[in-house]
Amino acid sequence: MTNHELIAKLKAIVAPYVQDEVAFSSLSEDTDFVKDLKINSANLVDIILDIEDEFDIRLENEDMEEMLDVKSAMEIVNTKLEA
Amino acid sequence: MVGNDIVDIEEAIQASNWQRPRFLNKLFTVQEQLCVHNSTNQFLMVWRLWSMKEAAYKLFTQLHPSRFYKPKQFECKIDNLKGIVIFQDFKCYVDTKITSKYIISEARLVEPKMTSDILKFQNENTDGKSKVLKTELLKSVAKRYQTQSEILKVVKNKFGVPTVRFGLKEINVSLTHHGNYGAYAIF
Repeated sequence: MTNHELIAKLKAIVAPYVQDEVAFSSLSEDTDFVKDLKINSANLVDIILDIEDEFDIRLENEDMEEMLDVKSAMEIVNTKLEA
Repeated sequence: MVGNDIVDIEEAIQASNWQRPRFLNKLFTVQEQLCVHNSTNQFLMVWRLWSMKEAAYKLFTQLHPSRFYKPKQFECKIDNLKGIVIFQDFKCYVDTKITSKYIISEARLVEPKMTSDILKFQNENTDGKSKVLKTELLKSVAKRYQTQSEILKVVKNKFGVPTVRFGLKEINVSLTHHGNYGAYAIF
């Protein structure tokens, strides 16, 4: 999967939880889920569960620790898919 | 230092599903999951524990500037409405208030009494809610310090931890919003 495809998939996953549509329209690797997209912290777990379902992977506690932005989510998914 | 967190009950019903597979296990320890299972109102217990963890996290990040997502490692213990949250060698006291509309938790290093002021938003968007909350916070700080709110400013550090700047003074505060409710606490 290319980075472009991965970002597109992540974008679809976070879409239901986004509260800042302007930041969402320009989503990139540097986008922060909470600071930029204003996603409520109560929904971060839903994003993690959605990522697990979409890519058929399982994230451990330590994988979740950094999952606050698109870049970290991409790194974790790529690592899991390569494993 | 103070940390607080509010959960809008209607929003928690609409925007989250605590019963989805693996949800509880991602956020809660085995003990906490038992506490949920044994509770007469599992929904309220889930969100009460969540608000305790968030309030404790906000207090922790004021003391140790940082940003991370380790909800399961903030372990809650509840005795009636008094709570304790432990994270590594950090320990704090959390007071929780539950109404039919919201759940609010407030964390301090010494046993707290609830001081958070609660706001119900009208129809503002996320940005608007944040502005209303900050305006009310500044009014309240101005009253306490007998000054004008115009000379006060909410500043967030690079980890997103807020303080109110009053001249050379920095006042520790905590802000929270969820759905149609918001709250602020001043240290």
